Amino acid sequence: MFFLSLIEHTLRVPPHLLSLPLNKAIMGELEKLFLDKVIANLGLCISVYDIRSIDGGFIFPGDGASTYTVKFRLIMFRPFVGEIVTAKLKESDTNGLRLSLGFFDDIYVPAHLMPNPSQFEPDPENKNQVRWMWEFQGEKYPIDGIDEIRFRVHNVNYPSIPIEQPKESKPFAPMVITGSLDYDGLGPISWWV
Amino acid sequence: MKIRKANAGTLTNFEVLDFLRSRGAATDPTRVIAPMAQSEFKVYDYLVQTAACNQTKESIDEFLKKCKQYDLAKAEILNIINIRPASAVEIDSIIEECEKRMGERVEELVEMVVQVLPPPPNEPKPEEGMDEDKEENPIAEQMEAS
Repeated sequence: MFFLSLIEHTLRVPPHLLSLPLNKAIMGELEKLFLDKVIANLGLCISVYDIRSIDGGFIFPGDGASTYTVKFRLIMFRPFVGEIVTAKLKESDTNGLRLSLGFFDDIYVPAHLMPNPSQFEPDPENKNQVRWMWEFQGEKYPIDGIDEIRFRVHNVNYPSIPIEQPKESKPFAPMVITGSLDYDGLGPISWWV
Repeated sequence: MKIRKANAGTLTNFEVLDFLRSRGAATDPTRVIAPMAQSEFKVYDYLVQTAACNQTKESIDEFLKKCKQYDLAKAEILNIINIRPASAVEIDSIIEECEKRMGERVEELVEMVVQVLPPPPNEPKPEEGMDEDKEENPIAEQMEAS
């Protein structure tokens, strides 16, 4: 799920940080820049692991701040295809399920990757939500939000940034994980324990 | 920004949890004093509920030694450490072509996993779960004291 990535970046350290020790100032700037952001094809940055080297300290003419070339490692979140992840149910509608990890919410299980055969029925509590049921050997197993759901990562997509978005659409998701429940041992944990 | 090495090493959930703990996530109830962002606390919250929260470096080293005889792929070993399957059904979704490659030895592998790796926090097995919790508390207190 997590891996390290070595990045090199030319960082401008603003003058108001001159009183801090260099390491702390650079760490703070890197965190502001990278934390909780998605880098295309690399994943979601969780944390700065360590700083490998700091070079430079140039001051460009006309600028009050010094510029450093920093090499550092970031902890990236990017599950590989085929990985099994445990998540909580966030929403469920006619297109499929949406799962959440707390720090990452854009995990979708579309209808064709649900365990076969399944059907959905309207949820008695919420008007817009439906409840999915899996039929197996004559019994119906519901997917309700009570316990955690295990899914296998099917695909990780990085859609490109749209130029214009109509007003009511969902906020843009830079990283989307598609999961599948269609296998032994996947789905809510209570089905298999 | 240049990407020097896109993959400089995979991390198990335990290693990330250990890193967050060393930054002070566990010992700070207010979540304001520790030098960590709110998003990092969310990752910590997620990891603490998985099997990684009770693991130790020694148990993972032991598991790696013992699973060499089963000839598993690196991704499968990583999945097993992160999920800690407790039954054959759970291992089946992790290992590809489980019956062909392992056949009868699946039960052995499940036994070994259950013995070597500590169970996750919400496991419905009172004897194992409580013992592991008691072991974990002294370690947490040591970290707070230091």
